[in-house]
Amino acid sequence: MAESGSSPASPPESKAVAYPQGNVVVAVLSAWLVPGLGHIYLKRRLRGIAFFVLVIVSVLVGCRLQGNLYQVVRGQPLSILATLGSMGMGFPYFLLRYGLHYQGDIMGAGYEYGTAFLLTGGLMNLLLILDAWDIVRGKKE
Amino acid sequence: MLSHFLLMVLYALLVSLFFTLLWRRGRREQIQLFLQIFLGMVGGGLLVAWLMYPFPSGPPAPLLP
Repeated sequence: MAESGSSPASPPESKAVAYPQGNVVVAVLSAWLVPGLGHIYLKRRLRGIAFFVLVIVSVLVGCRLQGNLYQVVRGQPLSILATLGSMGMGFPYFLLRYGLHYQGDIMGAGYEYGTAFLLTGGLMNLLLILDAWDIVRGKKE
Repeated sequence: MLSHFLLMVLYALLVSLFFTLLWRRGRREQIQLFLQIFLGMVGGGLLVAWLMYPFPSGPPAPLLP
């Protein structure tokens, strides 16, 4: 049984596999960098814009409430997970952390709420990355 | 500006909208799932608060700005 990869007529293999919907690497990277951009790249424009708005609103509310934007704390392994979750929001995380030097206010009344909103924004975008992955591979509409 | 209850409602709204758009395509199914998640979160929060009511409380929660 001849596999398609071994056929002389088949295109050369590359790491960035192109599926009918689009390029998987571009879809996943864009989905991570800007919330909703992966869906826009995959021609789900309205859904992409809606996801962008939802994630950004979550992040903005979190910042307004002075929540904690997680970063790794030595001796606290769970902070690694929380940081990865927060980094899931992509570009906004790095803009807040390194561009705007955002720091939450632990004494603020909305600190815990804000932290939940910020972390949720990151986790939402992680799910969007997986969704874009499924769409590009044709497993989801 | 925002009360604890309003923040809970806002959070439930964002999360339920997100999962509705992520998991459902048809309008009818979307409304159904949205209501399930939203009412589940808000109602569940109120239920837990009601169950905790008899327990001794700590210092009063600070007022949000």
